[in-house]
Amino acid sequence: MHIPDGILPLGLTLGGFAAAAGMTAICLNRIEAQPDPRAGLPRASLMTAVFFAASLVHIPVPPTSVHLLLCGLMGAMLGWYAMPAILIGLLFQAVMFGHGGLTTLGVNGVILGLPALAAFGLCRALQGATHPAAAAFASFVAGAGAVLLAVALFAVILLAGLPGHLDASAERAAILALALAHLPLALAEGLVVAAVLGFLRRTSPEMICVR
Amino acid sequence: MPSPSAKATAPKLATTGLVAMWLLAAGPAAGHGAFVDVTETRAVAIDARYDTDEPMAKAQVTVFAPDDPAKPWRVGQTDTAGRFVFMPDDRAGRWAIQVRQAGHGAMGYVDVGAAAGMTLTSSATAGLAPMQRLLMVACVAWGCIGTALYFRRATRATVA
Repeated sequence: MHIPDGILPLGLTLGGFAAAAGMTAICLNRIEAQPDPRAGLPRASLMTAVFFAASLVHIPVPPTSVHLLLCGLMGAMLGWYAMPAILIGLLFQAVMFGHGGLTTLGVNGVILGLPALAAFGLCRALQGATHPAAAAFASFVAGAGAVLLAVALFAVILLAGLPGHLDASAERAAILALALAHLPLALAEGLVVAAVLGFLRRTSPEMICVR
Repeated sequence: MPSPSAKATAPKLATTGLVAMWLLAAGPAAGHGAFVDVTETRAVAIDARYDTDEPMAKAQVTVFAPDDPAKPWRVGQTDTAGRFVFMPDDRAGRWAIQVRQAGHGAMGYVDVGAAAGMTLTSSATAGLAPMQRLLMVACVAWGCIGTALYFRRATRATVA
């Protein structure tokens, strides 16, 4: 889910930067409005490290392989801090490992940041769920849904920016195969988010960001 | 009196003579000969792989000539092993090669000189050893942990 440099046309990359800047501005505004904006920084910093390292964990899904995204977990754990944390993680991934690119940093930020904020919104909307099974199901939907939303955004942006000289049917088939390969990952990340949030609800409920 | 068999032979001989004359007038035979000109030339071979070392099988390749980096000079597809070969023409300069598949890909460059042969450059950061990757992850993780500890300490000091 990391689009590298040179894949998208200039208009889409500039649009990605504009959208990512707008989303980040909204998130920073909401963070600043909190009683203690610095209180969430230690957790955001640690989760940024987790997010950064997660892209190196490859899961073989024959005939290809996928890597962890963790955008649902980022959103559920960090709330408004998720967007800047994801952008910083993406910057490190692009500079150090060539995962993604610098010109596509904005687009990749939107692809992963928007699902994270959606997962945050879902967790916040369902925070009143008292039944453990209902809360676990909501957490699973947040984790799995974030992966599926990221895959959908990735595919739509790629298809929108497909150059005319390429074999469109071959590229569409490759994108579809990649999207299908992410279905097991969505399931796995949904279970991870459900397990982590379930553990935190029992031990440290204040760790779950619902503001 | 010629025998019946001699009568039948005369038209056959005449026909054979006509065919032979036509063949002689037609000149040398053409169309079945084969000629092979063998010349040595230079080619660029691409080996496209993901960072997991899997080949980029059936990925789309676009080659850009040095004097027109916006218009594709050639498009093609890698084989199942992720390989693609093309022969640049006489234009000296930096040729760009893009390999992409499902939104993933990389650019590679080859400097073709008029007399100096080729120099290959790859934009990918592939080739990092596992220990190098681990060290880089550890450095970033340590930076994040340090940041977390700094802000945690600052928050505690403010509370105190």
